[in-house]
Amino acid sequence: MSAIEVRDVWKKYRRPHVKTTSVKEAALAILRGQQGYDEFWALQGVSFEVQQGEAIGLIGPNGSGKSTMLGLLARVLKPTRGTMSVRGRVCPLLELGTGFHPELSGRENVFLNSSLLGLTRRETQRRYDSIVDFAELGEFMDSPVKTYSTGMVIRLGFSVAVHMDPDVLLIDEVLGVGDEHFQHKSFGRLLEFKEEGRTMFVVSHNLQSVGILCERAIWLDRGRMVKDEGSDEVITKYKAAVEAWERSLAEAKTRDAPAS
Amino acid sequence: MSELLEVLRYREILWNLVRRNLKVRYKNSVLGFAWSLLNPLMQIGVWYFVFKILFGRNEPNFMAFLVTGFLPWLFFSQTIMDSTAAVTQEMPLIKKAYFPRTILPVSVLLSNLIHLGFAFIVLLALFGLWRVDLNIYYLWVIPSTILIALFAYGLCAMLAAWSVFYADVKFIVGNLLGLWFFLTPVLYPLQLVLNKQQIDSPDNWVEFFLQSNLPLLKKLYVIDPLTIAVEGYRSALLHGGENFIRVTAAANATPADQAAALALQTSLRAQYPTLPYIIGAAVIAVATAVIGQIIFRRKADAFAEQG
Repeated sequence: MSAIEVRDVWKKYRRPHVKTTSVKEAALAILRGQQGYDEFWALQGVSFEVQQGEAIGLIGPNGSGKSTMLGLLARVLKPTRGTMSVRGRVCPLLELGTGFHPELSGRENVFLNSSLLGLTRRETQRRYDSIVDFAELGEFMDSPVKTYSTGMVIRLGFSVAVHMDPDVLLIDEVLGVGDEHFQHKSFGRLLEFKEEGRTMFVVSHNLQSVGILCERAIWLDRGRMVKDEGSDEVITKYKAAVEAWERSLAEAKTRDAPAS
Repeated sequence: MSELLEVLRYREILWNLVRRNLKVRYKNSVLGFAWSLLNPLMQIGVWYFVFKILFGRNEPNFMAFLVTGFLPWLFFSQTIMDSTAAVTQEMPLIKKAYFPRTILPVSVLLSNLIHLGFAFIVLLALFGLWRVDLNIYYLWVIPSTILIALFAYGLCAMLAAWSVFYADVKFIVGNLLGLWFFLTPVLYPLQLVLNKQQIDSPDNWVEFFLQSNLPLLKKLYVIDPLTIAVEGYRSALLHGGENFIRVTAAANATPADQAAALALQTSLRAQYPTLPYIIGAAVIAVATAVIGQIIFRRKADAFAEQG
């Protein structure tokens, strides 16, 4: 039985020309027969299956649909077409450190954030010390989060998320958060998750980390799947493609600017 | 219905959001929660100064009359004011994880119900001070509160959803609430409007419109769930559950004046029978709640894609 099934998923966004924020603008646009937005397909017919315990890297250039894919898996977004199912408790490590209320203390925010990710109060209580320990924020937990540095906020967000006991982890560009020490620590935690046989989805531009964490990788480009194979092969081919593209750019530049 | 079950399943988030709303409202103020009590008290103090001292209004129990009408109004207007930020301010949470979005307007409603509870404690303390007797009719406050809560929830849900797409909603709402306040018998007695027979010398289209539709407009005025809730509070807390249309003659009125007042009261009560209007208001409140929820649900899937 697969942990994740994605069947022919399409996702359409509306990209407004000029952001319509007022009734008057909207009314004028309708009167003039303008649509006011472009339609834009962020994902076009993506399908794959993931077995329990697999770790998968999602790679591709900016705007290729990686984050949209994670948003769909986290149920934050809904597919325009197609079906998907995810089994078990999903823990999204998306937008780390957001959703904390600046006026509330670190402690209060831990409880709010955990409930958002699906823990009951008692479950959070049991993990609280461990969460604080991992974030190394012991003496700051009773101060309002607005007094924290950016790094502290992200450390706390990461720590709450990895204490969820998830079946599926969705990781969006959080491999390089915090200082050198915390980066090692958080990477180590993700490796532990992998050993514990939890399913992982990793979005990152850090191809080396993707290679270490994941045995399989999916390469997306402008919403379409280019490759879905072992991570080493996909990463090698992706690197080759990027280099080829950069070479062609450089050639075009020298062609357009002839030596004078 | 399935949405209600889902909200219950995610009640942990709901409860945490309500706690956060309550904590944050008075954060950084020295008096903190006491403001829940002090705010309505100070508002009442302002009215005491304006109406009793400046205008010399001298009806018996005039302050009690103001307070009882003000509580349901304050609850309603605060809920509506909070609604425009209910979703827009929670975008970070919406983009972070899945939870039934209905929790957001529900948390606004619950937070304000709790504030209403606090304000009610102030009211009971004042009543103790004024030596008003407690009685069983106070319980009529409960159905009145349910009526206005349903109405407020429906408006809150639809305004919360629309605010995500149109920033204008916030400004329109602020101004309409200002008008609605005067279209609700908070500062003046109900029969002032019911007894109005004509607009004096109408000379523009608004006044002509009002003049030619006066009987219908008065019916709408009475069936407004806010009117019913405000009068429900007064009837429960001040008049032992009596019919909410009351015409009282001044204390020093002649017997003829008193008879005239009584006749007017009888005719108004016949014109606006209580039960159909209460049922009508309840139907409006329930319909608003259902429609608001449908609008909210339709828009909710697109929240995460905005801004």
